[in-house]
Amino acid sequence: MASPLPQVLLDGLFAGGTYALMAAGMALILGVVKVINLSHGAFFTLGAYVAYALAERGVGTPIAAAPLAAVIAFAFGVFLGKSFVNPARSHPFALPVGTLACALLFEQAAQMVWGPHPLSIEAGAPWIGPGGLVIRRWGVIAFLSSAALLGGLKWVLSARPGLPLRLIAEDEEIAGSLGMDVEAIRYLTFGGACAMAAAAGALLSPSGAVTPTMGRAPLLLSLVVVIVAGMDSVAAIFLLSIGLGIFGNACAWLLSPQWSYVALLAAVCLLLSARPAGIVVTAGRRD
Amino acid sequence: MRNAASFREGWLAAGIGLLLLFPLSSPDAFFLDVFTTGFLLAAFAASWDVVGGVSGQITLGHALPFGAAAYACALLTTFAGWPLPLAVAAGVLLAAAVGAGIGTLSAPLAGPFVALLTLALGEIAHEAAVGHTFFSGPGGYAWGGEGGIPVALPWRDASPFSSYYAALAFLCLASFGMLRFSRSGAGLILRAVAGSPITAQASGVPIARFKRLAFTVGSAFAGAAGAGFVLHVGRATATDLSLELSFQAATFAAVGGRGTIVGPVVAALVLHVLFQGLSLPPSARVLLYALTLLVTLRFFPGGVVGTARDLASRLGGKEAARPPRRRGRNNPGEGTP
Amino acid sequence: MTVRTGTFLRLALLLRGPAALFLYLFSSVFPAAPCVAAAHPDTLKIGVLAPLSGPYAAGGTSFVQAATLAVEQANAEGGVFGQRVTIVVGDTQGRVDVAKAEALRLVSREKVSALVGAYLSEETVGVMEIAAAQRTVLLVPVAATAEITDLVRREYARYRYVFRVGYSLPQWAEMIAAFLSDRKVRRYAFVGAGIRWNRELGETLERIVAPLGIAPVYTAYYSPGNPTFDTVAVAAAAASPDIVILADPGRNSVSFLKRLRESAPALPALSIGGALGDARLAASVPLSAPVYVQAAAWRGVSPAATAYVERYEHRFGAPPVGYSDTLPYDAVTVLVAAWRKAGSTATEAVVPVLERGTFAGTAGDYRFDAAHQAVWGTGPGALRGTFVRWERDGARIVFPPR
Repeated sequence: MASPLPQVLLDGLFAGGTYALMAAGMALILGVVKVINLSHGAFFTLGAYVAYALAERGVGTPIAAAPLAAVIAFAFGVFLGKSFVNPARSHPFALPVGTLACALLFEQAAQMVWGPHPLSIEAGAPWIGPGGLVIRRWGVIAFLSSAALLGGLKWVLSARPGLPLRLIAEDEEIAGSLGMDVEAIRYLTFGGACAMAAAAGALLSPSGAVTPTMGRAPLLLSLVVVIVAGMDSVAAIFLLSIGLGIFGNACAWLLSPQWSYVALLAAVCLLLSARPAGIVVTAGRRD
Repeated sequence: MRNAASFREGWLAAGIGLLLLFPLSSPDAFFLDVFTTGFLLAAFAASWDVVGGVSGQITLGHALPFGAAAYACALLTTFAGWPLPLAVAAGVLLAAAVGAGIGTLSAPLAGPFVALLTLALGEIAHEAAVGHTFFSGPGGYAWGGEGGIPVALPWRDASPFSSYYAALAFLCLASFGMLRFSRSGAGLILRAVAGSPITAQASGVPIARFKRLAFTVGSAFAGAAGAGFVLHVGRATATDLSLELSFQAATFAAVGGRGTIVGPVVAALVLHVLFQGLSLPPSARVLLYALTLLVTLRFFPGGVVGTARDLASRLGGKEAARPPRRRGRNNPGEGTP
Repeated sequence: MTVRTGTFLRLALLLRGPAALFLYLFSSVFPAAPCVAAAHPDTLKIGVLAPLSGPYAAGGTSFVQAATLAVEQANAEGGVFGQRVTIVVGDTQGRVDVAKAEALRLVSREKVSALVGAYLSEETVGVMEIAAAQRTVLLVPVAATAEITDLVRREYARYRYVFRVGYSLPQWAEMIAAFLSDRKVRRYAFVGAGIRWNRELGETLERIVAPLGIAPVYTAYYSPGNPTFDTVAVAAAAASPDIVILADPGRNSVSFLKRLRESAPALPALSIGGALGDARLAASVPLSAPVYVQAAAWRGVSPAATAYVERYEHRFGAPPVGYSDTLPYDAVTVLVAAWRKAGSTATEAVVPVLERGTFAGTAGDYRFDAAHQAVWGTGPGALRGTFVRWERDGARIVFPPR
C-alpha cells in the first residue's frame, strides 16, 4: 500500500490533465472565435459515446475512437459555426445562450439514441509504480494528450500557419481587409475546437460512466481555467489546470471530500479578487 | 418618439388586460398553476435584466439571491417559528445584502471575469445547500440537503385563482419598479457605465458604487421572486440555487432582449407557459425548446422585444425626424431608410 | 395617397385593442384544446409521476417502463371490473414545482383514479400535498425520507391517502445489517455522496449495527457536484475494511468502484442498489473481488419475480436493476389488487383496504403499518429484499438464503 500523499498528488496531476484537455479547445474558441462555448461539454459527451459505440462493436481501445470522434465533432462544429455562431455575431450575448441550447439539444438526442442509463467501458488494469503507487492508465493518457495538444496549439499559434488565427484574435477587421476569409477561419476553428473536446471525451470515457449529461462538470472547469488563465499563454492554461487538479485532490485529502469542490471554487474566487484581470498580466492592449 | 412610447404602452396594457381576464375563461387548476410559476420566473428574469442588461454585468449566478431568499423564508418559518410576512421581508433583505456582497466582489472585475465570479459564488451556495444536512430537525429526522426545507405556510392549499392573481400583481409591481429604476437617473448612469466604462469613469462616475447598486437592486427583486416562488411551491430546494436556474434567467433575457426589462418578462412567460403548459412528451419538449431557442437567437440575436424595439424606434425616429409634408404629394426620397 | 410608415404605426395602435380582444376569446378556447387524452369512457387511469428529463432521467425511465409492464399484466389478467387500465405519465423533471403542477394536471385534467410516484423525496412531498388536497390515493415506490411517513402519522386525517411501498431508511439499514452479519463482517467502510439521504443512511446503519459488534472504520462523502473519487478510494482501501459499502445509487457508484478496484483489487464491495444492478455496468468492472448488490427482488427469489424479470427483459432488452423498476412495478400491482379487493376505485373504499390487507408483489407480500409504511426488514412477515453477487455469467442470490 503506497503512502497516500504521493498518490494523492499523482491523482491530482491526472485530474489536472483532464481539465487541461478540455481547456485547450475552450481557449481556442474563446480566443479566436470570441465565443463562450457552452456546448463544449456536449462535444465531450459526443466523443465518449463514440468510444462506447466502438467498444460495443469490439473496437476496445478509446485511443482508436478519438480520431473518429474528432472527425464527427468537427463536422458538427463546422455546421454549428456556419449556421449559428457566425450569423449571430452581431450580438455577442446571444452566442453563449445559443451554444447552451445546442448542448441541451445534444443531451436530449443522446438520451434518445443511447438511453438515459449510465453506460461503461472497461478501464484496463493500472500500472503499479515504485512503492505501490497506482498509476492509472487513462490518467497518463489524459496528461500526455493534454500536454501534446497544448504544445501543438502553442506551436501552431506561434508558427506561420497560426498567423491568421492570431490576427483574427487580435482584430478581425484588419484580418478581413487583408483578404483573409474571416468567416471560414472562424467556423473551421470552431469545428477544430469541438474536435478537441470530442477527442478528450473519447480518451477519458473509460474512467467513469458515460451518461448524456456527463459533459457539464468538465465544461464548467474548463471555463474556469480558461477565463482565469486567459487566452494568451498556453503555459498558464496548462499550469493552472494542473494546479487546480492537485489543489482539489489535496483539499479532499486534507480537509474533507465533501467540500473539495467548494474549496476549489473559493480558490478561484480568491484568485479573481487578487488578480482582477486574470493571472497572466498582458502587455497593454489596444482598447 | 411619443408615438413609439404610447405604442409600447398600448401593447403592455393589452397584455396585462389579457392576463387579468384569462382566468375568467375557466382554465383548469393546472394551467393556472403553470401561469403562476411563469409570472414568478418572469419577475426573476426581469431582475436578471437589471444587472445583466441595464448595467451590462453579465451574471451567471443570479440564482444565488433567489435561493437565498427562498431558504431564508423556509428556515425562519420552520426552524425559528417566525411569522410569514416577517420571514419574507428578511428573505428579501438577505437577497439584497447578498447582492451587495456580490457587487462589491465583482466591482474591480469586468466582462467574463464577472460572469465567472458570479458563477463560482452561485455554485458554492448550491454545494453548501445540497451538502448541509440538519440532523435534528423537528420530527427527529434529518432535514435539508437535496430534500430542501419546507415553508410553514399559514394556508393549507391555496386557491389557484388567488395564487394566479397574487403572482400577476407581484409581476406587474416588480416590473413597474424595475422599469422605473432603469429609466431613473441611476439607471441611465448604469447604462452609460455598461456602454463605456472608461468614458463613465473619466466623467467622474464612481463605477464601483454603481455596479454594487445594480447588483443590490437586481438581487433584491430576485429575492422577492424567490420568496414568492417558495410561497407558491411550499418548499425551498437546492434547485433554487442551481446553475440551471441562473442560466435560465440569462436565456430568457437573451431571447427577450437584454436591457429591455419587458423582453425577458415576455420571453419567460411565453416560453414557460408554452413548454410546461402544453404537456408535450418529455423528449419532444426538450428538443422543441432547444430548437426554439436556437432559431429565435439565430434570427433575432438581439432578442425578440429588443429587435422589435429597434425596428419601431427606427420607423418612429424616421417619422419624427422628417419635416411635415402636405398630404398627397409624392416625395422621391420617402422609401429610403 | 401613398401609404406611409406613420400610417402603419397608427393602424397598429388602433388595432391593439381588437387584437387583445381576439386573443382573449381565442384563449378561452385554447385551454380546452389540449385535452387530448382521448377520454375513453371505460379505461381506468393511473397517474405516474417520475423524472423523464434532467439528471434523474435514468431512474424515471425505468420507473415508467416498469409501471407500463404492470398495467399490461393487469390487463392480461382481465383488467379491473372489466375495464382496461392505462397509465398517464407526468414528467416531473426533478423539480418540486413541476412535480406539483404535473400532479395537478393528472388529477384535475386527466382525471386519474390514483397516483404513483414520485422519484425524489422533495418531489414526493410536494405531490403529497396535491394528493391530500384532491383526496387521491398516492403510492410512493421509492423516496426513502422519513418526512413522508412522519406527515402521515402526525396529520393522519389529511395525509391518509399516502402509502409508501418502498423501504424507509431504517428498514434499509436493518436489511444491510442482516447481510453484514451473515457475511461475518466486523469492519466496514461507508462511502456516499454528500447528500442528505446518503448521510442519514450512514448514520442509521452505524447505529443499527453497533449492538452486532460491527463498526465503520472509514466514512466519507464526496461532493455531489464534482466528486473526487481518487482520494476517497485510496483512503477507503488504506483503512483495510472487510467490505466497502457504496451508498450512491447512480453513475457515481460505477466510477467509484473502478477507482476502488485500481487501488484495492481484493476488497469486496456492496452497492445498495441502482446502477450496479445493471449487468452491462457490472461487467465493465474487474471481478477480482466480490461485488454485491442489494435489490428489492431478483430473478429466482419467487416465481412471480422470475416471471416479472423475464417479461421486463423481453420487453425492454435488459433485465431490471431491482430498485427503481421493481418497486414501481410492485406499487402498481398493489394498487390494482387493492382496487379489485375494494370492488371500486373510489378513494374512501381503497384506503381502508390498503390499511388492512395483504397484497402479493414480486418482492413478497406487502402490508402496511400504522404510518402507511410497507413492512420491510428482518421481522416476521416482513419483506426481506435480496442481495446478489455478480459473477462471470450473471448474478447469484447470496442472501437471504433460500
